[in-house]
Amino acid sequence: MKKTLIAAGLAALMSTTSMAAEIGATFSRFDDNWLTVLRNGMVEYAATIDGLNYQQEDASDDLAKQIDQVKNFVASGVDGIIVNIVDTSAGAAITEAAGDVPLVFVNREPDNVNELPPTQAFVASNEIESGTLSAFEICKNLRAAGKGGGARGYLMNGQLSNQAAVQRSKDVHDVIGMDMCNFMTIIDEQPANWSRDEAQDLMTNWMSSGEPFDFVLANNDEMAIGAIQAMKAAGLDMADIQVGGVDASQDALVVMAAGDYDVTVFQDSVGQGTGSIDAVLKLIAGEKVDQKVYIPFKLVTPENMGDFLSKN
Amino acid sequence: MTDNSDGIGGLTFDKSKRSWPNEFNIFFALIIIIVIFEALGQILPYMNDQSFLFDTKDRFDTIFNEARLKIIILQVAIIGIIALGVTQVIITAGIDLSSGPLVAATAMVAMSFAQTELVNGNPNPKALFGTWAMDLPVVVPVVIGLVFGACIGAINGTFIAFLRIPPFIATLGMFLVCRGIALWWSSGNPISFPTESYKFIGSGMMPVVWFLSLAILFHIIMKYTVYGKHTYAIGSNEDAARMSGINVKRHKVMVYMIASMLAAFAGIVLSAKASTAQAGMGEFYELFAIAMAVIGGISLTGGRGSIIGTVLGAMVLGVIRSGFTFIKLDGSYQLMAMGSIIIAAVILDQYRQRNRA
Repeated sequence: MKKTLIAAGLAALMSTTSMAAEIGATFSRFDDNWLTVLRNGMVEYAATIDGLNYQQEDASDDLAKQIDQVKNFVASGVDGIIVNIVDTSAGAAITEAAGDVPLVFVNREPDNVNELPPTQAFVASNEIESGTLSAFEICKNLRAAGKGGGARGYLMNGQLSNQAAVQRSKDVHDVIGMDMCNFMTIIDEQPANWSRDEAQDLMTNWMSSGEPFDFVLANNDEMAIGAIQAMKAAGLDMADIQVGGVDASQDALVVMAAGDYDVTVFQDSVGQGTGSIDAVLKLIAGEKVDQKVYIPFKLVTPENMGDFLSKN
Repeated sequence: MTDNSDGIGGLTFDKSKRSWPNEFNIFFALIIIIVIFEALGQILPYMNDQSFLFDTKDRFDTIFNEARLKIIILQVAIIGIIALGVTQVIITAGIDLSSGPLVAATAMVAMSFAQTELVNGNPNPKALFGTWAMDLPVVVPVVIGLVFGACIGAINGTFIAFLRIPPFIATLGMFLVCRGIALWWSSGNPISFPTESYKFIGSGMMPVVWFLSLAILFHIIMKYTVYGKHTYAIGSNEDAARMSGINVKRHKVMVYMIASMLAAFAGIVLSAKASTAQAGMGEFYELFAIAMAVIGGISLTGGRGSIIGTVLGAMVLGVIRSGFTFIKLDGSYQLMAMGSIIIAAVILDQYRQRNRA
């Protein structure tokens, strides 16, 4: 009798520990708009799961800080970790810091994705798609507008230290390197640090040279919106200028609906957020998971923007 | 006996020994920098003999490239508003590191009372509060923002003056607190789509109008009022100021409150200009505001500096920023060059001060 009681007690104890999972998550930046949508979606989703204790921290774009956060999670005995990595080339360091604790990379693909231990997985989008989709669509639009003989424009970068920014700008250069799009010339490229107000000032600076241009490509929506605000303030007709960005944020879709914004790219925050939490829970339970889950980017133009209105 | 102290306590610098006011030097530096960019436009092969400040393509009525003149000052106007407050703080031998995050926090707080209910006929997709907070008169968000700033400033000032915490530490703490408030206020979500009247605060050249009118106002206050004299006196020699009957503690709280209200106002103008408020706004603004004051010839040990100097310092940064874009300099070189110029400005200034003494 006593033994069965103890066994029952133990079983109850074990079931409560497995039920009450603790997950620690670290994000590259708390003030990034799209990551905020992802984060808040994950908090909401985590709240719907019984017994799940979900905590998130801000790495403020500092890789060393992020590695320490992972180590802290391990030290405080969490059951699983979710990492939105600051620097995709530092995957091995994060993997090592987590040790045996189950870990899922979300949103950004670490460079060691093919060598992940069985306790780790990743759920992300391939950043190469985003900049390419946006730039290629602008290229097609410019051709359709009869500017295939030569088009000149500007490129706005995100923070130069940021992986996504570097990749998205590289994508633009790769697209322009293609035979079909090599009629496009970049007059100048400068960082506007993801920010709308810096983009306004940068665009106004560019326009002060009086040089004619046909397109503006930006690494994200915020900078594209800033550029559009500056061009409209200078009295330019937005029908003549192609503007492309990435994110498909609510603000961007409103600008697109007004006819000022031409191309953006949607990244599925719900898919990535719920996917990463589900994956880490499975890893904690010892179940098998797909170690590589790609959530694709989707092109957003005035024609199909209605499908994305309430998504990000 | 004539007063030749020029409002700086009369301890270190004597008007009679001066060849010309400090501000002239900064003005000359400004001209030299403009000439350098003008020359680069002619020398650099890829520039096709473009002019930096003059209208070579006949786009404007005057001989100047008006678009460039406007952006030079427009892009520094908002940080310039912060710099007006930081100048006063540094003159008391203090420092304010919290202004950048305060810009973001105020933008969030003010913008949440400045939203419109309908965007293109649809409900505002970024609505933070219910309809009771929508389409309010513009004075509501502005007053809320300024009161918020005043509270932060009062806390800064109280810690520094009454609890004797070094200004660097107190405002560093507030730096983090304000960034936290900005992130917490809407859990990191941007707040967008303000009313037309709120947008007007930051539209077109309005940021410049605010910056220059506030500069004139505080120039007069610092030069001709008791508030200004006391600020300089505290920075020159705090003990002497106390002994001569100035309520140093109360005055310091006032200075930090004014500085924070200016930073808060900068946040309001910034969010109106961008028609959005985001938690990441105002990054490094506190450092650029300090840089403007430093280029403008302020002394970090207090007692010396002026509003005119800071305005010229802001102009120098504006000219440099536009000039770099003009010569299509890569972003990473821009930061290196800007840093070097700030340090060079201080070295020159110190050299000049030593020679004069």
